[in-house]
Amino acid sequence: MSELTRAEIRDLMGEVMKAQGKTLPTDDSADLREIGFRSLDFSELALRVEDEIGDELNFDAPGLRQIAKVGDVLDFIEQLQSA
Amino acid sequence: MTAVIPPRRSTALIGDDNRIVVGGRTLTWRTLHKLPQLPSPAAVLVDNGADALAAVRHHAVHGTELLVATSARVDLNMREELAQSGFAVVIADGHEHSVKPARLKRVEESGRVWLLTSGSTGRPKRIGHTLESLTTVRGHQQPRTWLVPYSPGTYAWWQVVTLSLTQPDQALVVIEPSELETWPTIAAEHGVTAASGTPTFWRQTIYRDTEALAKVPLEQITLGGEPVDQAILDRLREIFPQARISWIYASSEVGASIVVHDGKAGFPKAWLDREPDPGSDRPILSVEGDELVITSPHHGAGLDGAVRTGDRVEFAGENGDRVLIVGRLDTDEINVGGSKVSAGLVRNVLMAHPAVAWARVFARKAPLVGRMVAAEVVLDPEFGPITDADLVQWCTNRLPDYGVPRRIRFLDEIPQKETLKSDV
Repeated sequence: MSELTRAEIRDLMGEVMKAQGKTLPTDDSADLREIGFRSLDFSELALRVEDEIGDELNFDAPGLRQIAKVGDVLDFIEQLQSA
Repeated sequence: MTAVIPPRRSTALIGDDNRIVVGGRTLTWRTLHKLPQLPSPAAVLVDNGADALAAVRHHAVHGTELLVATSARVDLNMREELAQSGFAVVIADGHEHSVKPARLKRVEESGRVWLLTSGSTGRPKRIGHTLESLTTVRGHQQPRTWLVPYSPGTYAWWQVVTLSLTQPDQALVVIEPSELETWPTIAAEHGVTAASGTPTFWRQTIYRDTEALAKVPLEQITLGGEPVDQAILDRLREIFPQARISWIYASSEVGASIVVHDGKAGFPKAWLDREPDPGSDRPILSVEGDELVITSPHHGAGLDGAVRTGDRVEFAGENGDRVLIVGRLDTDEINVGGSKVSAGLVRNVLMAHPAVAWARVFARKAPLVGRMVAAEVVLDPEFGPITDADLVQWCTNRLPDYGVPRRIRFLDEIPQKETLKSDV
């Protein structure tokens, strides 16, 4: 399977939020704490991406950094796919 | 030269005239085909139930040191190990058989029976028993016709087989692996009144054909070999309102140690740390950390004293007065970002959903939290469409957030191993 586009990752992120009864805002600068996107949600998103691409993500590859906004999540997953 | 360890059980052949239905034929222990004189020790590898029972009767009559197992369970390496441990390896096939001689000459242990553990904790181990130590049901028994769905040579198989061999009026209906999917029809035809199987076995049967199951005149239903949850007990109670429904905790190592008849999962906390009763053969149960520890009179050779079972317990019920056995210690606990959850308890919650026929819960590697709870599920086709979101919601209402399986995969059918267990 090929890598997911940023838009596809965003769609999956929306599904994670929806399953929690929440809505993903369209603005990439939205604060994760304010929209209620927690570490468990982030982990679930990573697993959804793995299931879509049929491959494991290498979580150790990119350096740990702050993930505070919606755009940070999308950046990080994009980076994981290409690591 | 012979080393006689325990006295051979004098009552061993009381059941010799009990009816045995096997391979489409109705026989008795006495009229089963006879195996040729076996070398001793012998590891008899079989591909059908009749040969396995013939090996047991041979042992009962001659005291042959015996290990019986299906050919599929004993690979070439294990056959070589057995030969080097002094066993002649006998491949039985009706009146035909082939013998690979032992590579080590040693003194036979007359009366010894060897069991292979299920191998759920690694390579199967050999555990020594005798007909005496395997016969845990004593006293007068109601006449019964027992289903034998278990794989020959397992502890659960020996339990039913020794009952029939040592007690009057205990008939057997043997189910071969190829008959597992249609066993209720065979059982109804031969009037099976008692059946013992794993929760996976019962779930599969209900899933395949509840109507056919309900036609079996069951008076005694027994579950064992895997953690037993309330949902499967309740479902069986609905189908068989009059039957006695029991679950048993048993293993090759400690024998049958816990027997519960009240229709509830787990056992009363009051059963823990009871004073030994010299007048009974009641095992002593205790919990160390969250591990079940058992001192059992039905133990295998060399396993007397307290045995750490490797099984994990949790206290449940309104006052924590029920002890649930939730799974293996090494696989049951899932650490989600520092919060620990029992895979067995999550599984119980999933399986309590009316549309779920079977579930397996496991850990998946995940960023930030290290591990996440995931699940595989088989749905009951009688229910309408159910989505993963429905099940996530069900679990969210019943579990802490870190215990909710966020990834749920649907399977088409319930996976099952030869031991009638699934990998849960």
